[in-house]
Amino acid sequence: MNFTKSMQPRLTLPLGVVCLSLLALPGQAQAAGEQVFNDKKCTECHYTKGPSKENTIAEKLAQKGPELWYAGDKFQAPWLAKWLSDPKPIRPLKMNSLTEKNAGDHPKLSEAEAKEVSEFLMGLKSGQVKAGVITPSSSVKGKQVFAKKMPCSACHPFPDSDGKVTGGLTAPTFVGAKERLNPDWILAYMTNPKLFKPVKSMPVFTGILKDKEMEDVSSYIANFQ
Amino acid sequence: MLKSSKTLLAGVFLTTGLLMCVTGGRASAAVDGEQVYQFYCAQCHGAGGKGDGPNVTPSMPVTPRNFTKQEDMNKLSDLDIQNVIMEGGPALSKSPMMPPWSQTLSKDEVAAMVAHLRKLCDCKGKQ
Repeated sequence: MNFTKSMQPRLTLPLGVVCLSLLALPGQAQAAGEQVFNDKKCTECHYTKGPSKENTIAEKLAQKGPELWYAGDKFQAPWLAKWLSDPKPIRPLKMNSLTEKNAGDHPKLSEAEAKEVSEFLMGLKSGQVKAGVITPSSSVKGKQVFAKKMPCSACHPFPDSDGKVTGGLTAPTFVGAKERLNPDWILAYMTNPKLFKPVKSMPVFTGILKDKEMEDVSSYIANFQ
Repeated sequence: MLKSSKTLLAGVFLTTGLLMCVTGGRASAAVDGEQVYQFYCAQCHGAGGKGDGPNVTPSMPVTPRNFTKQEDMNKLSDLDIQNVIMEGGPALSKSPMMPPWSQTLSKDEVAAMVAHLRKLCDCKGKQ
C-alpha cells in the first residue's frame, strides 16, 4: 500500500504522539515517585545518588537507613511496592545496634504513593549488575557454602527446611529473599561488595570463595521463601 | 655545614623508609582496636568479649570464644589470634562459624584488635 503525501501527516503524527507518550510514562512515574520520596522526607535517612558515602566505621555507624542508589539492582519491584505500603522489619535488630530490637516503625506510604516511589527506586541502578546469571535454586552445593563453608547462618535469619526461622540476628533476614532480592544482585554484592558497601560488618569473601561457590550460594539465598 | 645537612636529610629519608616498611608501605592513622572489635566481632563474641553476642541464638552450633577467660587466652600467642582472625576458625582447628577476615580487615586493624583482646583477657598469651 502506498501513502499519498496528503495521507502521511495524518497517519504519522498520531503514531508519533502515541510513541512519545509511551516513552514518557516511565519517566513521569519516576519523577512523581521522586517527588513523593522528597515530600515524605525519606531523604532524612536514605540517599539515592551513588557512590556509597560510608567509608569508615564511624560513618557506617552514623548511617540511619540503607543507601538506595542501587535499589533497582537490589530489589524486585512488586515486593518493593508492597513493602513500602506495609513495611515489615527486614533486620531483627535496629540498624547499627547489637541490643535494640527493630521497632518496625518504618513510615508507611499509601498504595498509590508506594507504587510511585517504587517506580522511582527501581530506576536507580549501579550499572554493575549483570542480568540473567543467577537462577534461584535449592542446590546442595549452595547449601554447603551457606551453612558450612562460610556460615551465612551465623548472622542472617533464614527459614530452615520446616519453614521455621533460625540463624543469627544481626544481619538482614533471608526469609522471603525469593520475592525481595534480585538474584543477580546477590552475586554482584558477593563478588564486589565494596562497590555497594565500602564498610560493613559482614566479611568480604572475594578471593576466598571460588566464582562457582559465589554463584551457588547466591542461587541458594535467592531461593528462600 | 653542607655535609651535616645532607646527613640529616639522609637520616630523614631512612627513617621514613623504615616507617613505611613497618606500616606496610602506607601511612596508617591510629586504629581504634575497641571500635574495630565492637563493629566486627561483638555481634558474636559480645560487647564485653564473653562470647555472648546477639548472634548466639539456640541455632548457633558452637559457643564463640570468651575472651575474658585468661586461662584459655594464655594458651594462644598473638600470632595464633592473628591467624584465626585472618583465616577463620579452621586455622586453629576450630569451627568455620568463625569466618576469615583477611579480605576485610587491614593488618593495622588486626593488630589493633589483637591488642584489644589482650586487654579483655588482661593477659599476654603464649610467648
